[in-house]
Amino acid sequence: MQLSRRSFFKIMGAAGASVTALPPSANAWKSKAPPDPYGCLVDLTRCVGCRKCEEACAEVNGLPTPERPNCQCIVFDKKRRPDDKAYTVVNRYFTGKLDQFDKPLPTYAKVQCMHCQDPACVSACIVGALTKDETGAVRYDATKCIGCRYCMVACPFEIPAYEYHDPITPRVIKCSFCYDRISKKGGLPGCATICPTEALTFGKRETIVKVAQKRLEENPGKYIDHVYGEKEVGGTSWLYISSVPFEKVNLPVLSDKPSPKLSETIQHSLFSYLWSPLALFGVLGALMYKSNKNQGEPENKGGY
Amino acid sequence: MIKKIIVFAGLILLTAALCTAEIWKAPDQEKAKERAKEVVPFIKEYKDDCQITRRMSLIDAGISIKNVQDVYFLLDSPVIKKREDHYEPVRFAHKRHAALTKDCTKCHHFRPKDENALETTRCSACHQDSFNPDHPERIGLKAAYHQQCMKCHQEEAKGPVDCKGCHLRNVPDHKNLVKLPDNADPFQVTAECLRCHDTQAEDMLKTAHWLWKGPSPYTTGHRKDIMHGKGTTALNNY
Repeated sequence: MQLSRRSFFKIMGAAGASVTALPPSANAWKSKAPPDPYGCLVDLTRCVGCRKCEEACAEVNGLPTPERPNCQCIVFDKKRRPDDKAYTVVNRYFTGKLDQFDKPLPTYAKVQCMHCQDPACVSACIVGALTKDETGAVRYDATKCIGCRYCMVACPFEIPAYEYHDPITPRVIKCSFCYDRISKKGGLPGCATICPTEALTFGKRETIVKVAQKRLEENPGKYIDHVYGEKEVGGTSWLYISSVPFEKVNLPVLSDKPSPKLSETIQHSLFSYLWSPLALFGVLGALMYKSNKNQGEPENKGGY
Repeated sequence: MIKKIIVFAGLILLTAALCTAEIWKAPDQEKAKERAKEVVPFIKEYKDDCQITRRMSLIDAGISIKNVQDVYFLLDSPVIKKREDHYEPVRFAHKRHAALTKDCTKCHHFRPKDENALETTRCSACHQDSFNPDHPERIGLKAAYHQQCMKCHQEEAKGPVDCKGCHLRNVPDHKNLVKLPDNADPFQVTAECLRCHDTQAEDMLKTAHWLWKGPSPYTTGHRKDIMHGKGTTALNNY
């Protein structure tokens, strides 16, 4: 196939036009994190595994009472995760730490939605059922949800659960950060209200980060020198400090880049003003036009 | 006739005396209850001394266990009640703890910055409501109690560390919870209890009370049996 001078200019013109149509600013990804969100610090050295947070969460959010609410023994034998009946669970880990009598010391870790600053679930939701609120809460609107469960795939902490047992009106279930309570002045999440040892500290995220860093500074050797969630996946509203490595209490090692950054950059630069499909179909059209012009006429004479 | 009147008058006098008689209350318990209701002004600034300096300054001020006035406190406050009310307050034997630890600074770990203030302050002066935005690092009263008690009990391997070791559970008023017809039969009553207490019922099915057999570590001659009881090897012995 030989390109004529004329068709070469046609193709190049079309390609050039589509490239100039792409505004350069669309490439730069911007965080949509709220400026002054609330946060909650979980100090794993303070948690005693009483599971009152589970009980309070269920009570506040109208969920079924947790399994054996006063038990601190057999419930911990298996690792649990937040499911369609619980927004939060406490797990027990033996990480090899021993007390003065060489007895293994347990570390308890509460699990719930981390309420990321740039949540992957919100980015993945195709109908806008999940939104990041000014308070920092990632809110879920069951009326908009179509049940695609992309949020469950997208979440780096594997938090959202689904009501698989309900065939008609299933919902995605995850911690709401007690949005209805914290959006009111002086309101606290159910779990933080009840925690007897203040292993949960609630406040503005900015303040909470400072409190966490101060605790690390003032107790050298007690904590791992890292505030989990300060930078992970671009920052989360729930933060953890611990005396044992975070991966040992099932908090995954994650990069500091917000999860939606890569996917949204690709999506937004490829599909801004629909330039890429336009360019593709432009090129295809030009090729078809050219090949028809070159080969179409003699074959048509053959009686088709 | 006169006898009857005398007896009748006597009865009336007796009932009147019973009605007016006050029920005796333990004075220190009443004092503790009143004290627990107080909310004292918040101490914003404290003197950041180390424990050894604290001990020295207490010796210098001549404060020791002999100065302990209050025998016991109720660890309760409107500050805690404001947030939640699930357990009965702990009865804290102040004098006893002081005598056992022989060290006031274990609990009275800091003092107010104000030089005129007392050397030992009550917990609720510095530790009040949780998550105070002006003092974010200061823990609340409930957390201060729990951290202090549990830490020491664990370190000393003495004293309870579980909830019910110190607290009585606030039992909700069952008057409105229990729904039974008049003259309910025993089965109806049991079924009504089981409506909420199903886990307790299941637990009961695993005990010797239900199985009539089980381990008998305190029965002479059967200490090592694991299935001893009327259900297997024993007979009633009335």
